[in-house]
Amino acid sequence: MRMDRGQNTGGLMSSAGLVRYFDAEDSNAIQIDPKTVIATGVMIGILVQLLTFAA
Amino acid sequence: MGWKEAAEPVLTRMPAVRRPEGHVPFKRKLMWTAGILVLYFFLTNIALLGLQGGEATDLFGEFRSVLAGEMGSLMQVGIGPIVTASIVLQLLGGANLLGLDTDDPRDQVLYQGLQKLLVIVMTALTALPMVFAGGFLPAQQSLTLGGLEFGQTQIEMLLFLQIFIGGILILYMDEVVSKWGIGSGIGLFIIASVSQRLVSGFVSPTSEAFFYSWYEIITGQTGVSVASLDGLTYMLSDGGGQLIALVTTILIFAIVVYAESVRVEIPLSHARVKGARGRFPVKLIYASVLPMILVRALQANIQFMGQILNRTWGGMPTWLGDYSAGEPTGGFFYYLNPIYSPQDWMWWTADVGQEAWQVLIRISIDLSFMVVGGAIFAIFWVETTNMGPEATARQIQNSGMQIPGFRQNVGVVEKVMERYIPQVTVIGGALVGLLAVWANMLGTIGGVTGTGLLLAVSITYKLYEEIAEEQMMEMHPMMRQMFGRE
Repeated sequence: MRMDRGQNTGGLMSSAGLVRYFDAEDSNAIQIDPKTVIATGVMIGILVQLLTFAA
Repeated sequence: MGWKEAAEPVLTRMPAVRRPEGHVPFKRKLMWTAGILVLYFFLTNIALLGLQGGEATDLFGEFRSVLAGEMGSLMQVGIGPIVTASIVLQLLGGANLLGLDTDDPRDQVLYQGLQKLLVIVMTALTALPMVFAGGFLPAQQSLTLGGLEFGQTQIEMLLFLQIFIGGILILYMDEVVSKWGIGSGIGLFIIASVSQRLVSGFVSPTSEAFFYSWYEIITGQTGVSVASLDGLTYMLSDGGGQLIALVTTILIFAIVVYAESVRVEIPLSHARVKGARGRFPVKLIYASVLPMILVRALQANIQFMGQILNRTWGGMPTWLGDYSAGEPTGGFFYYLNPIYSPQDWMWWTADVGQEAWQVLIRISIDLSFMVVGGAIFAIFWVETTNMGPEATARQIQNSGMQIPGFRQNVGVVEKVMERYIPQVTVIGGALVGLLAVWANMLGTIGGVTGTGLLLAVSITYKLYEEIAEEQMMEMHPMMRQMFGRE
């Protein structure tokens, strides 16, 4: 059991962000495409701006 | 049954950004990073719907340059919730209260889930008082949207919803950069926010900006004679020629870049391949400047509390906090308020309303907070990010290297590492804290604050190193295996 230790450390932790992401993932988790994140951001921005104009 | 089993169904199901399969080419990484940066700037320019214009005050105050985002926009909370959640995790993890082993894949999933849940909770907790307590973001009286009439309470809900969604977006934007881009989203947003302030501190056409104020001095619009003592003071001062601020800003740049290269190098040789040698660098700023943001955020959270109390609690005793024009001028919250600019402490000038001893107490509290806090958070940071003696010894052992003259054994390497890493971490953390306070006392161009400047320079340096590493990997696919990323 100790054999596989240290394999999943995600390489060098050089540029550690404040939020840490590991390689391990759960199959239950909802997977989001990075394009979806950008598209959602753009859409929310446009929506709020349009509503501001309309108001 | 521990908390792990109880929380598992929730924590394992937190939505996550998909990981790239295989290697992402450097150009593609650059595109993702640039895309997120553009989106960030776009969203900082979208004003919140239903906000009463012109009357909002920034709860983040002087901490804005470090916490990124933009007041009154969809990016209202900036990276505040992420930093606060990170403080909680660092403290829990550093004191080993979580019982999570970050080498175990199962615990890694739980850690990631817990981290995300904490950020979401903190986003709500940051957004709630902004909208509902103390009128930091006053809502419009009424709002009509396509025939629907909204009352003030509903508009406040609408404001909260927008800020909350903006905060969640920042979380996922960071995840996209971390997984598909270069560096981290948080680093990117800090650089963006600080550089924007720095550039406008130089070139914006107001008398607060560096170039414009010098234009005024040279054309004689200031009414101060250049050749007199007053003129000299004016040229140096923060409200005038800002020469001291300029020198401080440049010095911080130079010191951080220099300190990045100060290191103790531990020689390594390969156990099997004769002649293959390497060095393990223990940098002076080993834990980087990021722990500093945690100390600042802790101070920021104390000040938010003061601001909220001041707005909502009419009978607040003066020993707790005495406020005038939204700034603490006495009491507990005054002494815990960090020094932002020369106007905060130069007690012999007319800008400071406090006695010299009060100012000195405030300076010493700020200094000890930053130096001691910097050291403590640096230690926690090293432990939680696997940069401690034990973890690095294991990494060196796994790569087949050893320290020449010592037995090839994890315990032995760890002993050698223990001689350097903790000491260097504490000295580095304290030094960075000292630098940040010193820079704030002398002032910086554009009011970016010492911490903001330190963070921006050090993150940019890290980014540069990472890009260099990326390009090396592009050139030699073999390198990818060496860096452990296939």
